[in-house]
Amino acid sequence: MAEEKPDIVRLVEEGAKAIGLAIAPEYRANVILNVERSLIIARPLLEVELEDELVSAPVFRP
Amino acid sequence: MSEPLSKAATATEIAGAVMSGKVKASAVIDATLKRIGALEPAVNAFTDVVTERAKKRAAEIDAGLHRGPLLGVPFAVKNLFDIEGLPTRAGSKINVDGPKAVRDGALVRMLEAAGAILVGGLNMGEYAYDFTGENAHYGPSRNPRDLTRMTGGSSGGSGAAVAAGEVPLSLGSDTNGSIRVPSSLCGLFGLKPTYGRLSRAGSFPFVDAFDHLGPIARSARDLALSFDAMQGWDSDDPVCTDRPVDPTLPRLVEGVNGLRIAIAGDYFARGGEPEAFEAVATVAKALGATKTVVLPQAAAARSAAYIITAIEGAQLHLPRLRTRPQDFDPDTRERFMAGALLPGAWYVKAQRFRHQYRANVLKLFDEVDVILAPATPCTAPRLGQTMMKLSGVELPVRANLGLFTQPISFIGLPVAVAPLQKPGSLPIGVQLIAKPYNEQAALRVAAHLEKQGIAAAPPA
Repeated sequence: MAEEKPDIVRLVEEGAKAIGLAIAPEYRANVILNVERSLIIARPLLEVELEDELVSAPVFRP
Repeated sequence: MSEPLSKAATATEIAGAVMSGKVKASAVIDATLKRIGALEPAVNAFTDVVTERAKKRAAEIDAGLHRGPLLGVPFAVKNLFDIEGLPTRAGSKINVDGPKAVRDGALVRMLEAAGAILVGGLNMGEYAYDFTGENAHYGPSRNPRDLTRMTGGSSGGSGAAVAAGEVPLSLGSDTNGSIRVPSSLCGLFGLKPTYGRLSRAGSFPFVDAFDHLGPIARSARDLALSFDAMQGWDSDDPVCTDRPVDPTLPRLVEGVNGLRIAIAGDYFARGGEPEAFEAVATVAKALGATKTVVLPQAAAARSAAYIITAIEGAQLHLPRLRTRPQDFDPDTRERFMAGALLPGAWYVKAQRFRHQYRANVLKLFDEVDVILAPATPCTAPRLGQTMMKLSGVELPVRANLGLFTQPISFIGLPVAVAPLQKPGSLPIGVQLIAKPYNEQAALRVAAHLEKQGIAAAPPA
């Protein structure tokens, strides 16, 4: 089955409404472009499988 | 050895001359302010020059009121550091309407306590969300090696001011590469210390999970000298380590004796232009390093750093994005807005992955002390350039100048940048990466490369 392409335009429009962020028409195309770029850059992370036991590191001590 | 009033003088040389009485601190500051006045129209590194404050401090030094290892050394700071009496711009127009700082940032105070003299605040990419050094409000900082080129960012002014010889020492911040990218593109020595090693108190944040502060200078010795002066626990920064101060300067004489040095392979050996890998090969050859190590899942680390940055940065600025979107730099506004719309699940996954990646990378340091990697995938792009070709692939400049720095700051490892100069070409830097709190190893390698004539600041 072919992977369904995410509807970024809708995500931006509805997401912005949900968080109370008004995106002016002149900014809209670039916001959509940046969400699309984020999706591409995020892919290697999203493909990683993590063990359930792995906890987050919100306070990070190297 | 440079003449202490010249623009090629290092912090070490200036401090030595002032301490010995060879020159007055006032003469150093007069020469510095004169140079800033002459060079700024071209370089645009400064947004604020604190002339009267600097002259007053210099007069106090000449009167014997202050002492310290950085005596009389002029320095300037990225304008996200608090400077008493000035608004903390953080590269923005919006912050100028905010309150003025009532106290200097912690590291400014520590450098002045060591005898240095603050001369001003430096240009930067808005809110540090930048790898270019461009800024719509204040104009771009320009690369002194070629004024049509980017300095790199976001600590663009911090790179430009030192490369132009306006000051021998600057401070920047590095969340994903913002000290290391300008150090590489301007051809300077830079240090991003271990996460939490230096206090961030009194600086405007970007991404708490990754924000680091550190120096940029014309020599590895100056990095060590200033880094040592800034170490120490600070209760005002909850992330600041309570480990004892670990001076690095006395250890530079050890050179690379006993250090195990390897080259980062896989992710760090592809996706850049040939000059980036040639620089690593040159450094490796000089160090006799032949072993290659692989930082596992580095591509996912870069993804995770990107996602955490986008979401934390957007969360920080969401109130301003709602009320004053028109006052943002267009090059950051829509990226912040996009970050506000990314799924929270991605953020949590990125933080969980961070834990795993950290554990796997730290294992490498059982066998090596310093890992070599390119600092940037290419030399300085042209100002205004939005796309670039890396290994034949067309990519956005802004998102990709930090390809090789992001997977390292993601887990807070200390990194020094060693700059390589090539006649007729633009400079480029190599990252010298060490395990947490082992800054001395990275600085020793940088100092050794400088001594061997492999790494050097550009001619001033």
